[in-house]
Amino acid sequence: MRSLLPDPHALLEDNPNKRVLLLGNEAIARGILEAGISVVTTYPGTPASEIGDSIAAIAHEAGLYMEYSTNEMVAMEVAGGAANCGVRALTAMKHVGLNVAADMLMTLAYAGVRGGCIIVTADDPECHSSQNEQDNRFYALLSNLPCLEPSDPQEAKEMTISAIEISERLEVPVLLRTTTRVSHTRGPVTYGELTKPNLKGKFVRDVKRLVMVPANSRPKHTVFLKTMEKAKEISESSPYNRVVREGKSREYGLISSSSAYNYAVEAADLLGLDASILKLGMTHPMPEKLIAEFLKKHKKVIVVEELEPYMEMQVKAIAKDYTCKTEVHGKTGKPYFSREGELSTRAVAEGLARITNKKLPIDFASIDKRFTEVVKELPRRPPILCAGCPHRASFYVMRRVGGENAIYPTDIGCYALGIAPPLNIGDIMICMGASLGTAQGISKATNAPTIAVIGDSTFFHAALPGLVNAVYNNSKVTLAVLDNATTAMTGHQPHPGTGLTGMGSPSEKVSIEKVAEGCGVKYVKVVDPFQTKEAEKVLKEALEQPGPSVVVFRAPCVLVSVREMRRKGMKIMPFKITEKCTNCMACIKLLSCPALTVESGKVRISEELCTACGLCIQVCPYKAIEGGSRGH
Amino acid sequence: MKEFNVVLAGVGGQGTLLAAEILGSAAVEDGLNVRVSEIHGMAQRGGAVTSNVRIGEKVLSPTVMEGRADVLLGFEPLETLRNLKYASEKTTVIVSDEEIPPTELAAKGAAYPSMKDLTAKIRSFAKKVFVVEAERLASEAGNALTSNIVLVGALAAIENMPVKAESLMKSVRELVPARHVDVNVKAFKLGYDYMKKHA
Repeated sequence: MRSLLPDPHALLEDNPNKRVLLLGNEAIARGILEAGISVVTTYPGTPASEIGDSIAAIAHEAGLYMEYSTNEMVAMEVAGGAANCGVRALTAMKHVGLNVAADMLMTLAYAGVRGGCIIVTADDPECHSSQNEQDNRFYALLSNLPCLEPSDPQEAKEMTISAIEISERLEVPVLLRTTTRVSHTRGPVTYGELTKPNLKGKFVRDVKRLVMVPANSRPKHTVFLKTMEKAKEISESSPYNRVVREGKSREYGLISSSSAYNYAVEAADLLGLDASILKLGMTHPMPEKLIAEFLKKHKKVIVVEELEPYMEMQVKAIAKDYTCKTEVHGKTGKPYFSREGELSTRAVAEGLARITNKKLPIDFASIDKRFTEVVKELPRRPPILCAGCPHRASFYVMRRVGGENAIYPTDIGCYALGIAPPLNIGDIMICMGASLGTAQGISKATNAPTIAVIGDSTFFHAALPGLVNAVYNNSKVTLAVLDNATTAMTGHQPHPGTGLTGMGSPSEKVSIEKVAEGCGVKYVKVVDPFQTKEAEKVLKEALEQPGPSVVVFRAPCVLVSVREMRRKGMKIMPFKITEKCTNCMACIKLLSCPALTVESGKVRISEELCTACGLCIQVCPYKAIEGGSRGH
Repeated sequence: MKEFNVVLAGVGGQGTLLAAEILGSAAVEDGLNVRVSEIHGMAQRGGAVTSNVRIGEKVLSPTVMEGRADVLLGFEPLETLRNLKYASEKTTVIVSDEEIPPTELAAKGAAYPSMKDLTAKIRSFAKKVFVVEAERLASEAGNALTSNIVLVGALAAIENMPVKAESLMKSVRELVPARHVDVNVKAFKLGYDYMKKHA
């Protein structure tokens, strides 16, 4: 599991008023302890992972229950079930995880909860580590559930406590929406009192309330809409929705929230702009009257928000409803801010300067020009598969067998890095589990050999219905499960195949090959990707099957295995290039391993990076690589 | 001090995250307001990484604006160049001489650019440029992997650093793995002394 710094046990300290540096996600974890939340569920995903990871490390001592669920849907179901027994619960996921859990979300909103229930959605503007940058505030609008948006770690902790209060008052779940720059920002956080968790829930049978058949859903919808009228009152008087700065001239007013708020304040200061600032922390339902009052006080109101014009659309509607003549600026109409990517103090200052005709005190254009000149010829450094990564061996095998004819749908995880040359494995990647589904469509449409690539954790998360579909509809596809025995990309969390729970207890190892056989796949084989010849033979056979086949490429994540070897005192002797080397560059051209470099035209193996995986010796035509070992 | 901005630039795996956290927690120790921003996940696998540390009463944004870095702390020469837009004439650039060739260079059979050319480009942006032999000093401390702490030590030694060197040292002790404290403390001191001597 990811080593968190500082030691997550520091979160347990019963020392109110202590001020510590915490990551936004760690601050939410502290909020969990202060709010007395007793059930925490998650499926790891950047930028949400450290919420679950922090709690996993301290769950026993804290006396609460934590689990890594197989996927976000199950995570929300477990949290929703517990909360309906009066136990406080939280489920955390990345933004796209909420798509997986959306079915539960939409109707849990009707059924409601008894104990406080928080759904954390961590959005990723700029796609730092995601396949899209969707704006999950629209899930608040779609589900009509209350939404809180912190802008820094301190607020992230406070809002976790407030969200539980609001949830219990209204008896509905509450969304806590962060972004990468909140979840992954460290800032000073002042501790409050801890609340002892209470895992002793009671399930009260109430069919009208909890069984959402049409006859019950219709009246529950009415109740829910009334509940949300109360939520609006909470929003109107919420301490999180407040005018933080009163301008002198009443010419300009800014409305902002979340990470964008930080940039808005700094940008206004940078420009010396005399403007009032309305900070919104509860963004669904919007505090209509408060906004109308703010609109009426100012000639021009500028909405500063990241991604979609979520608040701006509502502010414009409020302006119309309250017949305010105030001009509202932002992203719709004439666009002053981008709907793509992250904002920054610079981006907000540039937009504000255009609206207000103020001059920027920094000549950004000149910086950009000089910088472009400097970086013009700079070699790129994208993320790559680690030296010794078993996926490199698996991809090498796939290239050898499938070549250019095969089509390689891929999935979400480290193995998406296989798209880089020279391996070039990954022809379509959309979302968790989609490799197997898209592969079946591609296979039916083209009849080409199709190898769907998926990781072990993703296999359990989203591949099972796809696998059953392949058997049921007799699709001619090969599923390559790259089983490295961990959830590597998000920080090495355990999963159903690892035999370990989130709280560190041993559990039944769910076997990928047995699951595949159980689903009715006739050809299921397990190979070691580093035994390339044998793996090639098996994969070739798999592609010749008339129906679906599964090949499990099994070798542990090199980051985990090297750490383990070091811990056991085992020596890793890196490989060396011998005098037989002709500098044909086959190793580099075929594998692109970061441990293989070129110095003065000669191939060299980096002693620091080589993990002695032995893949390069299998591709060297001159047997010019020797000496590496993983010994005792 | 109105605000003090540090941009830390390196390659995933070099320990930039830990260095940024040490700076941040030392600032909290000194009672200062601070924001540290970092990127996890996909971006970390041997790719270019940047962390930001901003110290100051009014600081809200976790990211440094172009041209506003007080210090650009470069863990790797090429990555230092990649972040020069944050520098201005007033910026102090502390750059490690530890070269990590991107795989793209090996694939093209191209050589790593000369340190002389790279520092010349850095000087076109900033006047105060210090090259630190971080790898050598880290080895001298007893572990080549402590070069990130050498650089934290070097940063502690600059004139306008608002965080106390003792607080930084305390954070190093608290945040590095217990069994590696001594070697990291040594690395910190070597970096500190090196900078005091050369600055």
